[in-house]
Amino acid sequence: MRASLIKIAAVGAFLISSPNAQEAEAPDEASGLAAWAKIYEIFSDERCASCHVADGRPMWSGEHYGGTYKHPMYVGGSPELLLGHPGLMCTTCHMAENAQKLHGPPGAEVWHLPPAEMAWWGKSSTEICEQVKDPTRNGGRTLAELQSHVAEDPLVAWGWAPGPGRKPAPYSAKETADFLVAWSASGAPCPPAD
Amino acid sequence: MGKILRRTFLIGSAAVGGGVAIGYWQVTKPYPNPLKSRLKDGETALTPYVIVAKDGVTIVAPRSEMGQGVRTTLAALVAEELDVDLNAIKVINGPASKAYYNSMLMEEAAGQAATDVSAGAERMRNATKVIAKIMGSQATGGSTAIPDAFERMRSAGAAARIVLTKAAAKSLGVSASELTTENGMVIAADGTSIAYTELAGEAANIKPPSNPPLREKSKWRYLGKSLDRLDMVEKCTGTAEYAIDVRLPDMAYATVRVNCHLGAGVKSYDASKAKARADVKKVVPVKNGLAVVSTNTWNAFQAVQDLEIEWEPAPYPVNDADIVASHRAAFDDKPDSQKRKDGDVEAVLAEGDIIETEYLVPYLAHATMEPMNAVAHLRDGKLDLWVGTQSPTRCLDVAKDLTGLDEDDIDIHTMYLGGGFGRRGEIDFVAQAIEVAKAMEGTPIKLVWSREEDMCHDMYRPLTLARFRGAIRDGKPAAFDMHVAASAAAIDAFERQGMNLNMADPTITQNAWDNPYKIDNYRVTGYRAKKALPVGFWRSVGASQNAFFQECATDELANAANADPLQFRLDMLDHEPSRKVLEAVAEMSGWGGALPEGRARGIAYYLSFGVPVAEVIEIVDTGAGLKVDKAFVAADVGLALDPRNIEAQLQSGVIYGLTAAIQGAITIEDGVVKQKNFNEYDAMRMYQAPSIDVRILENGPHITGVGEPGLPPAAPALANAIFALSGKRIRELPLNNSIAFI
Amino acid sequence: MQLTINGKNHEVDVDPETPLLWVLRDEVGLTGTKFGCGIAMCGACTVHVNGQPRRSCSLPVKLVDGDITTIEGIGTPDAMNAVQEAWVENQVAQCGFCQSGQIMTAAALLSMNPEPSDDDIDRAMSGNICRCGTYPRIRAAVHAAAAKMRGA
Repeated sequence: MRASLIKIAAVGAFLISSPNAQEAEAPDEASGLAAWAKIYEIFSDERCASCHVADGRPMWSGEHYGGTYKHPMYVGGSPELLLGHPGLMCTTCHMAENAQKLHGPPGAEVWHLPPAEMAWWGKSSTEICEQVKDPTRNGGRTLAELQSHVAEDPLVAWGWAPGPGRKPAPYSAKETADFLVAWSASGAPCPPAD
Repeated sequence: MGKILRRTFLIGSAAVGGGVAIGYWQVTKPYPNPLKSRLKDGETALTPYVIVAKDGVTIVAPRSEMGQGVRTTLAALVAEELDVDLNAIKVINGPASKAYYNSMLMEEAAGQAATDVSAGAERMRNATKVIAKIMGSQATGGSTAIPDAFERMRSAGAAARIVLTKAAAKSLGVSASELTTENGMVIAADGTSIAYTELAGEAANIKPPSNPPLREKSKWRYLGKSLDRLDMVEKCTGTAEYAIDVRLPDMAYATVRVNCHLGAGVKSYDASKAKARADVKKVVPVKNGLAVVSTNTWNAFQAVQDLEIEWEPAPYPVNDADIVASHRAAFDDKPDSQKRKDGDVEAVLAEGDIIETEYLVPYLAHATMEPMNAVAHLRDGKLDLWVGTQSPTRCLDVAKDLTGLDEDDIDIHTMYLGGGFGRRGEIDFVAQAIEVAKAMEGTPIKLVWSREEDMCHDMYRPLTLARFRGAIRDGKPAAFDMHVAASAAAIDAFERQGMNLNMADPTITQNAWDNPYKIDNYRVTGYRAKKALPVGFWRSVGASQNAFFQECATDELANAANADPLQFRLDMLDHEPSRKVLEAVAEMSGWGGALPEGRARGIAYYLSFGVPVAEVIEIVDTGAGLKVDKAFVAADVGLALDPRNIEAQLQSGVIYGLTAAIQGAITIEDGVVKQKNFNEYDAMRMYQAPSIDVRILENGPHITGVGEPGLPPAAPALANAIFALSGKRIRELPLNNSIAFI
Repeated sequence: MQLTINGKNHEVDVDPETPLLWVLRDEVGLTGTKFGCGIAMCGACTVHVNGQPRRSCSLPVKLVDGDITTIEGIGTPDAMNAVQEAWVENQVAQCGFCQSGQIMTAAALLSMNPEPSDDDIDRAMSGNICRCGTYPRIRAAVHAAAAKMRGA
């Protein structure tokens, strides 16, 4: 199931031909790190990181939730079943659109979890940075595919339209993709570990 | 509620004795049979509990079926004596009537220690039945339904059987003594049989005997055995009808928004936006809020949000810290009660070397699965009310008050309750439905609360503080001094019914003062905290928090004495039924036996509602949080009428208690209850729930009810297990504020 | 709007944002599906859409994309489904208000996993709250229903 999901995500992936990328000259580590800082700000935001978890159990995090908790119910728990469990699929509660009722379930097309190797909840900027460059831990994507994932995946897009009461992720899908382009063009540098 | 009762209560706690004399004439005179005025052609009401007609026999089980299985057990009590097949008859809740008063309602308030079975104590218990009869409250709660009905409903069955036998004798021209009964028939010596249903007409003219003889236990066919619940198939096929399921032609749908500053009113409002909606039929002011009437429930939920309302401020401190502080201040006031004062606690404590602790439990919501709702239809000078209520007669009273109609023009249809737990003894939502039905006369109104409205407008289990001091001398408990401060749940609840009880609140030290532990110096003192959130009866009432205080404190003493927590308790008990539940639970749980690393057991015992219950909780540290893995329960019910149902009730109490212990908390922010739905006030879920082994004992002197007593020991048994596992003594609930659970 | 519910077609005239729950209960008159929370936290409103369990309180009717089955559609008092039979045999229900949802979830689980372990059952049923605490009997009944269905 996991493999097919990755395939779904990869289908339609194409290189974004960004003007920034084309105009970029020699790799510039400083501007690359500045771009990464923004990317990290987005990736580590509760809207994005809450689902990028290792134990299959997403987080409820942020002001809307009154703190940081594991998603209630016995959801996930098995990283192999990214769509949920027989009898309690993610889509049992999470519909194709956000519930309009406050604290109702957020929704998007085929709500599911990213694979466990893509987990970065609680990780440092350096760790996440190294991870997203590593195809074995980023869903098998090239950097270009990563950009299109961010720009086009409906679940990723949800982070900026998370429904009533939830604070959206910073910036936008388009800006995030642009940051990724700029970062890639600068040689995708990662900040040193603390 | 008659004048006599009001005066009786105003005299105070001495009134129980006085009630006998004042009410004597009313006690001897039975209430009229409420079925008589409601019978259809060909029906005969032999007693208030038995209707016979051509097409069948109907038993009235006048207590509310809210999950506890009462309908089945009550029907079995009648069927046992009436000689009918439980599955071949119809069982109904019946009309609201004082004839179905709950005779046990005031026993807990009367102040007899549970273990006191002296003649004097029994006399006082009987005296409380007098008061209860005058009150005429058809209430379900307090684990009273079974003790109340045990003789009464068997007698009703026996009396009806005698009437039917006499009717048959008359029609056969033989002596009644020659006749027997079996399976809904009267049978003559020659084998001739007449079905009860054929005898309705003849029986109508025969007066039932008032004290019919009852069958020996050894002859019981239904009682003492596990019966299939009569409501089970309905409830597993979606066909059981709760009030929320009632559908009437041309019905309109309403919901409310009531001030979340509980008890405060509406300053001003603008309904123009709501009224502009095509679906909105009417906006109706109700107490402290507004109702909107629309075309379906969802539309009503949307429309009510379009009301612009300016609310009156909260009449209580607006955050938790201030509420806790106001409760703490109650310890400086004069006590509300001091029902236990053995020896000289102060003298022992003055010696020093004492254990001194403070415990705190939060407010709790009932959170029944079915949100509050009612259906009301007022037309042609008649009101019909469909409601899941624990108190049909209170619904009747409020209906009379609000409509001015006579009792005969009001029909209360008591439906299945989607959970009660004490919440459905209140009538706030019922009054709202009637108010809206009045404003929409002629149109049936279904008024349904959103979950948010339900959780924020409860009458909560009181936030309660306890201060404990104790001392161990020579390895033995020498002093036990418990001080409890809470707002007055019973006084508050009765005040909402228009009764002013000038007495100590029995819930504040409920079942703590009469705890059977023998310690020479033992004192239990209650303090009445200033009212903040409205409080009321929450499953097991004061026992739910008092068990936590008592049994954690007892564990702390045992630890100080370096004693085994089980043996420490046994050493303080000479009450045999209590000793036996502890011994049973120890055996069931393998108490004292070795456990693998990361596992531990905790034990607790509490005697509430006349039922001694001991529980052992076994927990495991999963690495991702604690899991309550196993629970063991031993309870002494005196006499077990339906063992499988009793097991279910005890399991239910454990899970309800664990939910509260682990995660239950209602807190206040800006004067408003913060938790509005299950996302913030969750219930224990299946993967978190332990296996629960139950053993039922029958050594106690009285038959008892078990809806509540399984609950109180759950929280302290768990807290004590956590101490055993980690050395961490948690004195505040919910536990997950201090330690993680899965 | 056309809906197929328990094999029958229904024409309903409602705001497309209306949750399926209220269409079933207030418009079509199928009240076996219960309202508990309105935010998919309690599971009382569980129905099947194309055989998959869905919380009807949070499913706007405009998003319904298949045949709907409710508790009334899987069995009746006279002809119960195997899951319902197992529930009755194990005397599961107390107040009963959550049980329509519990049974619909269990039926969905068993249609996908005919021999669930305790852990599978715990996971599937963890979205359904029972305030009466019937969990021990629910677990036993799911196993019993599974055995029944395998035997059938």
